[in-house]
Amino acid sequence: MLELKEIRLVYNPGTAREKCLFDGFGLRVPDGQFVSIVGSNGSGKTSLLNLICGTILPQGGHVRMDDRDITAWPEHRRLRRIGRIHQNPAAGTCAGMTLLENMSLADSKFKRMNLMPGTDRRKVQGYREQLRQMGLGLEDMLHQRAGSLSGGQRQALAMAMCVLTPIEFLILDEHTAALDPKTADTIMELTDRLVRERRLTALMVTHNLRYATSFGNRLVMMHQGGVVLDRAGAKKAATRLEDVLGLFTDISVELGN
Amino acid sequence: MTLALQSFQNALPSTLEQGFIYALMALGVLMTYHILDFPDLTVDGSFPLGGAVGSSLIVSGAPPAAALLAALAAGAAAGLVTGLIHVKLKIRALFSGIIVMTALYSVNLRIAGGSALISIPRDKVTLFRNNALVSALPEGAATLVIAVVMALAVKALMDLFFKTRLGCLLRAAGDNGRVVTALGRDVGNVKILGLMMANALVALSGAVLCQQQRLFEISMGTGATVLSLASVIIGVNLFQRLERMRATTKAIVGALLYKACYSLAIALGLLPGDMKLVTAALFLAILAVGYRKRKGAPADA
Amino acid sequence: MKKRLILALALVLSLLPLAAPQAQEKPLRIGIAQFADHPSLDNCREGFIQGLAEAGFEDGKSIALDYRNAQADMGLTALIASSFVDNGYDLICAIATPMAMTAVNTADGKIPVIYSAVSAPVEAGLAGSDGLSAANATGTSDQLPVKAQLALIRAFQPEARTLGLLYTVGEVNSQVQAKQYEQLAPEFGFEVVSSTVTAGGDVALALPGLLARADCLSMLTDNTVVQYLDVVLDQAEAAGVPVYGSEIEQVKNGCLAAVGIDYLALGRQTGRMAARVLKGEAAGSIPFEVMQDSALYYNSGAMQRLGLALPAAIEGSIQDTAENPQ
Repeated sequence: MLELKEIRLVYNPGTAREKCLFDGFGLRVPDGQFVSIVGSNGSGKTSLLNLICGTILPQGGHVRMDDRDITAWPEHRRLRRIGRIHQNPAAGTCAGMTLLENMSLADSKFKRMNLMPGTDRRKVQGYREQLRQMGLGLEDMLHQRAGSLSGGQRQALAMAMCVLTPIEFLILDEHTAALDPKTADTIMELTDRLVRERRLTALMVTHNLRYATSFGNRLVMMHQGGVVLDRAGAKKAATRLEDVLGLFTDISVELGN
Repeated sequence: MTLALQSFQNALPSTLEQGFIYALMALGVLMTYHILDFPDLTVDGSFPLGGAVGSSLIVSGAPPAAALLAALAAGAAAGLVTGLIHVKLKIRALFSGIIVMTALYSVNLRIAGGSALISIPRDKVTLFRNNALVSALPEGAATLVIAVVMALAVKALMDLFFKTRLGCLLRAAGDNGRVVTALGRDVGNVKILGLMMANALVALSGAVLCQQQRLFEISMGTGATVLSLASVIIGVNLFQRLERMRATTKAIVGALLYKACYSLAIALGLLPGDMKLVTAALFLAILAVGYRKRKGAPADA
Repeated sequence: MKKRLILALALVLSLLPLAAPQAQEKPLRIGIAQFADHPSLDNCREGFIQGLAEAGFEDGKSIALDYRNAQADMGLTALIASSFVDNGYDLICAIATPMAMTAVNTADGKIPVIYSAVSAPVEAGLAGSDGLSAANATGTSDQLPVKAQLALIRAFQPEARTLGLLYTVGEVNSQVQAKQYEQLAPEFGFEVVSSTVTAGGDVALALPGLLARADCLSMLTDNTVVQYLDVVLDQAEAAGVPVYGSEIEQVKNGCLAAVGIDYLALGRQTGRMAARVLKGEAAGSIPFEVMQDSALYYNSGAMQRLGLALPAAIEGSIQDTAENPQ
């Protein structure tokens, strides 16, 4: 379970550009939910993710993971149980290192950092198998530098690295936005499969309303730091793209978009 | 011209000696600049720190190995301070190095007993004199052999290290810090470790140099960062296309080429005041050649 | 491609000795290694060349001179010294302490080294207390005639109590000289106050504090501070504090007076010593020589501006260096 309680978030406090984004904001995501979060620009979608992961800290309020208050936890501590895929495909992998090295790195997440060899020959088959399941041919590119991969391939690699070790929560930050439509679809299918197979609790911020309605079991629409639409379960399943689009256009017009 | 080349050739062994000793420093800076992407000015202070520590110990009769170990430890301490200032106090990388480098000037002076100069008497046991190893090697070749062996040994250890889990983590920290964080590790701590290792090597280089020239001079650190950065950049840029060549090899070659440029400038015997101009021209020539080759290579996706 | 280029170059270089014609009667090769660009050191070098010529060794005839300047870079210092040694020069002249030490260590007795402008050869490890070196080296020292300087200052300012020193903490010559001042000053009724800097840029910042406490300033042979002499003179004159130089050039530039080391003369002395070695004497058997010729200089223009008068006692033995003597 992930929860934001009574969050107060102010950007550039004490300056002329001070902007209060959240004031008393709350959101609760129970285990097993796959939440799609949509909203206008500046609605706080990405800030929400950053608050959960610990990339930014709120001026007030609490962040909870299960029964722990993690508000004071540094980002790296939170990321032990949370996996995050970024919008920029280059953000989740090390460009100068090979796919094998990247996978080995991810595999060492909970291991002791010592002078043992960084890559293990015996694990290579296992990594190949993991990458094969991505369906993008990565299993044959183990010795290539991650930097030579295309955007979609890097995103897939990032996802493979993410789930190599057990995680409970998956944060997806517009992770298909920088990809071409076909690759985006592939990555989205991958995402859905991973979430279902591993029973992850996932939060996905997206601009793509079609994805938001087609995938996941909860839909949240945000506007100016607040939730204007929140449908879960059957109600969400019944929601059609046209309904959401209408509401979305309204709030966008309100903002002058 | 032939005379100059002849002169350069005669001085080649000494040039190589200097090159391999400074290569130790280049390897250290490779760690911070090239791998961690951290421009570390601490080097201007940790290089003479190693020299001060090493020389003081040698003069007071300590065995060379102890002096070198002490230098390594001192360098690591300097790197630790820079790292802490940068990570915990969130001060910019460049400035953290400047702070420590400035402070080290006074520290080094104190270590040297308040004197700007330490002379190591001829009869003292150093890495290069009055020891069993030197006696076993042919006369005149001892210094070069020892310098080469040291550089290659350090290089081999570094290459091995970067294959270990910790080494890969360090490389990841410089490549993409977010990946390290995603692994649940504090990227700041990794950077601190890198700074410690790098400055330990730099201090080692200083200690070795002082033992070779039997002289510690307080200003020996001035320009050390520039010198080692130049060595690394020359090596890495010149051999950019040779992906199979390890970065550590490139750093060593870069250091050798750097010293060779100076040596060539001396051998050409132009107006003494133009020495630095000539050296700069030689650097430019090397990098320009490397650039021409690079123009064909495609950038990363 | 790159590899082949380097390989080819290496190959060419290694074949060169076969191509070089063998000369018959070669002139003696003398390497002059100067540590830094500095007027005193330049004078020293000029003097050295003159001294050699006076002793019968002329550049281009019986000797071939090679001059290299390390421009205060320790790395260059090492390479220049090893270049001379590796190329088998017959004698090396090393000017200034860091170069002297490096040259002696690099030569390691194989080539005679004649050093100059080394203020403290014994402290630098270049000579034992008997003045001799075990490493085939000898030379001249520009030890400041501190006593004579103190006497001169006392003559110009009978009531002065505090003597100010400004020097670089990183220059060993300055450290040694400062200690000498501290030891000898009380004899002349002075108390020494010092201010140290780490770089030339700090000179302007250190001066106000020092000038507030000192009745007079005396310059050491500090390479860094000497370069900023104009800054020192400007501030000191504005504060009405006389500045005494350490050599004649400084007095010409505006210092009130100095017991001057004539670096030209020091160089000539060095050149004469080198000639003795070239003629067959062992460098290790010649004790280093301290500069004997020092003369009194003053600048009447500066004296007038400070409102002082020439002491009667030294009137005959002191020389005016001002452009338009008053």
